[in-house]
Amino acid sequence: MDLLQFARGPALTWAFAIFVFGMSWRLLGILLLKRRPDYSEPRHATSWPGAIKLIITRSWPRREFRPRTVFGLSVGYIFHFGLVIVVFGFAPHIMFFRSLTGLDWPNLPNAVIYISGAITIAALIIVLGRRLTNPVMRLLSNFDDYFSWFVTITPVVTGMLAVAHLGARYETLLAVHILSIALLLVWFPFGKLMHSALIFISRGTTGALFERKGASI
Amino acid sequence: MSTADIDSKHPLELDQPRFSVKNPEQRYDKQGDMPDAQRVETAMRHFVKDFGAVAATYMESCIHCGMCAEACHFYVATEDPKYTPIWKLEPFKQAYKREAGPFAAIYRALNLKKKVTVEQLEEWQELIYDSCTMCGRCTLICPMGIDIASLVGLARHGMNKAGLVPHELWAVAERAEREGSPLGATPKVFKDRCEWLADDNEVEIFVDKPQADVIAAMSSIEIMKYPDSIVATAKILNHLGLNWTFRTDGYEATNFGMLSGNSEWQKEMSLKLINATIAAGAKLLILPECGHAYGAMRWQGANVYGKPLPFRVLHISEFLAENTKSGALKTKPLGKTLTFHDPCQVSRRGGAVEAPRDVLDGLGAELIEMQDTKGVNWCCGGGGGVVTIHRADPLRYKAFQIKMKQVDDTGAELLVSSCSNCRQTFDDGQDHFHWDKTMLSLLELVADNLEDK
Amino acid sequence: MNEPDTLGASLTRTGISRRSFLKFCTAMASLMALPPSAAYAMADALQRTQRQSVIWLSFQECTGCVESLTRSFDPTLEQMIFEMISLDYQHTLQAASGTAAESAREQAMKASYGKYLLIVDGSIPTKDGGVYSTVAGISNYDMLVETAKGAAAIVSVGTCSSYGGIPHANPNPTGAVAVTDIIKDKPVMNVPGCPPIPSVIAGVLAYFVTYGKLPELDHLNRPKVFFADTIHDRCYRRPFYDQGKFAKTFDDEGARNGWCLYELGCKGPTTYNACATIKWNGGVSFPIESGHGCLGCSEPNFWDKGSFYQPLPTPLADNAPVIAAATLGGIAVGTVAAVVSRKHQADIGTKEGK
Repeated sequence: MDLLQFARGPALTWAFAIFVFGMSWRLLGILLLKRRPDYSEPRHATSWPGAIKLIITRSWPRREFRPRTVFGLSVGYIFHFGLVIVVFGFAPHIMFFRSLTGLDWPNLPNAVIYISGAITIAALIIVLGRRLTNPVMRLLSNFDDYFSWFVTITPVVTGMLAVAHLGARYETLLAVHILSIALLLVWFPFGKLMHSALIFISRGTTGALFERKGASI
Repeated sequence: MSTADIDSKHPLELDQPRFSVKNPEQRYDKQGDMPDAQRVETAMRHFVKDFGAVAATYMESCIHCGMCAEACHFYVATEDPKYTPIWKLEPFKQAYKREAGPFAAIYRALNLKKKVTVEQLEEWQELIYDSCTMCGRCTLICPMGIDIASLVGLARHGMNKAGLVPHELWAVAERAEREGSPLGATPKVFKDRCEWLADDNEVEIFVDKPQADVIAAMSSIEIMKYPDSIVATAKILNHLGLNWTFRTDGYEATNFGMLSGNSEWQKEMSLKLINATIAAGAKLLILPECGHAYGAMRWQGANVYGKPLPFRVLHISEFLAENTKSGALKTKPLGKTLTFHDPCQVSRRGGAVEAPRDVLDGLGAELIEMQDTKGVNWCCGGGGGVVTIHRADPLRYKAFQIKMKQVDDTGAELLVSSCSNCRQTFDDGQDHFHWDKTMLSLLELVADNLEDK
Repeated sequence: MNEPDTLGASLTRTGISRRSFLKFCTAMASLMALPPSAAYAMADALQRTQRQSVIWLSFQECTGCVESLTRSFDPTLEQMIFEMISLDYQHTLQAASGTAAESAREQAMKASYGKYLLIVDGSIPTKDGGVYSTVAGISNYDMLVETAKGAAAIVSVGTCSSYGGIPHANPNPTGAVAVTDIIKDKPVMNVPGCPPIPSVIAGVLAYFVTYGKLPELDHLNRPKVFFADTIHDRCYRRPFYDQGKFAKTFDDEGARNGWCLYELGCKGPTTYNACATIKWNGGVSFPIESGHGCLGCSEPNFWDKGSFYQPLPTPLADNAPVIAAATLGGIAVGTVAAVVSRKHQADIGTKEGK
């Protein structure tokens, strides 16, 4: 078994297994904790519109917060969008998802992917620089933040190297790329990358609770 | 330490402009004589005890983006990263992960999250109490939608059980529990005040009517420092011709049990008010101009009671708004420009955002909104019990400068709010900075401009 | 065959002109990216030296490699190959059979001991004492070991002798292995492919005859000149890959437009061979040009790397059952974790009550 076969075979199988195992473990472990009934008289009887509203509107800052957050948010948006374009727009990735889910969608031209990938890497490096230099972020940061950064940027870098055939033979680069995805999947449920799922739960929870009170969201 | 000892060590100076105990030097306060290890253990256990799915979701969701700092007046005023709202919960996050999170068993088995130390908790006392007003502005900026303020509330539960509350806050809470009021407004004092206020102002103030449709409550700050509010309340309720009363078995709306993090005391304090309202057969409980009292009764009261309350709960501004809109409340036009300071717990977190504006509209005042207003209004810096903590004064004054600038920028003639705790903080800030703006009470403004019948 | 026998003499004998011989040498030299002067050096060397003695052993194979070589469209190529070597033993091509054939091998070994070139096609079965393939009662294994002893170098022609090939594929019932798995003390060059490109075989033989050594090899013992690049690197459809234009089926618009076959499972990106440049059938075409993706036949284990039609970046295994099981497991563990935490919290509450 060569490295690519290992990556496409057992490595991915284990990574998928750990990914879904960890995801369901963590989500259930949170969601099944006790919930207290709220007996207070609601200001708005139906609270779910608040959940939807917050999930959508919190995607950009309120006008009042913009001047102080514009840089961090912009860089964050850039790399998130870059990742979406690269992950879901690149034809080989779509094949990957199709083989897992049966879903298919049109791919973007590779030039777009390459440019997005490069921008994503640049943005991720800026993000790390910011984390290291901004006093607040530096104080808050722990192993999870740096490791999650590492497992996020690695697939992008290895993917770019693979398409550019730089540094090693293509099959090795492809194998390393797939292995870096496996690492990402394995770490995903246990660190902050989980925010991609929790963001809906967390925003939705606050949105619903605050809508009930008519509080500002 | 007995209560008498505490009072002799940190005397409450009730004649001073601001009610609190004096002890300005930097320090960490401890109550009781629990060994340190047990203190930590107790703090952490009681922090996680009340952890439900909601708080767990929040604890799991933080991505350490640091944006909450930009919403916090204490951080913005100092640029000190330790005032980042979510950082104030750091040891508690550690405790949550060890004790209640989905991977708690693993964290404990492998000791991946270290146990919190008493030194950490002493350090965090300042962050949990002195530098957080639980105003919830950070909740509005958090891209994950984490309600950080509610988590600080939970953290205070643990700190309280461990006896790690700043002394003044603990002392006023303890006094409130013992005497029925944090600032010495005992039932007797309250009743006496009502009597002489009624005489002085020639207004009928009902106290302890056995049955009434409406029960009014006051905050101890108003009773002791702004007694005109009692008169204003009586004037307005009489103007509306309502069958109302104060009750000496339930008149104190502040809840220092909640602010200090003592859920037993919180419950006792709330139940007094609830039981008094029920005893009078009232259909409406009017909460005074006090921010946290609104949160404590309007949103937590029924949950403390264990079932829906058999009466309505309104903040005085909501009550005034309802009667302004219905036309029952008739006022003379004010004809001045003013700006309104939204009390966090009533407006941002309580949902009564438009009520005071409806009232001001009825008064015919020209409202000039501040730059950041309504739900994103900047906190006065004194809520959450912070104004009682002396050692927090320098920090609080820094944060207050944001507020002063906001107010000055409007150029309005008058400054109005509907929270006596904010008002107290403004008065203290005005005094400290020799500022020319005096905070007015919405309630008193309305009462002073009632149309003669 | 034992008299001194030069290629020059042989050419004269068979009536091949110097012009066409030079043409062959130039072709070989350019094929192997040698400088133009090398063509003359090659012609010179080939003409003067004694024809190289070659023993060709065919083991567990399909004869596809020999077929490929002999059916070469270029009429002079196979001729040239057989002119420049003295093929002393090749049981598919030789007229002799039985004892006569075997004695020819022994004779050639003895005559050119230490100097002959050993070419092997087919894998070597090792299971059960190697009984799955024997020649004249001798197992392939024994014959290889014995013949290799006197060889100057060994050329493994085809994927079977290079890597084990199809006989080696799962579950490998005969215990088939490659030459390099058995012979460790001789220079071995692999010319993989199922079959290999005929000109490649010719080229490396010409090189060996000219320079008396094997050309430069890569980490899998392949001649670098032919196996340095992937099919994908040299593919004429590569621009479509770069633009992200892919055929989705074999008869869609993309396929008709000649777009990249990556999505149809083409193994070009991971296959190192010269098909895209030298092509087949005398340079007429190669599989991708004919509309089918590369199978990766010149790569180790090509038969075991999933379907030929499965795109490269997709997982090899069917992960659905594993994912389903792991999800259920996670739900169970997560539920238990929540219940334990609830109990833990309740215990704190009870203690508090006391």
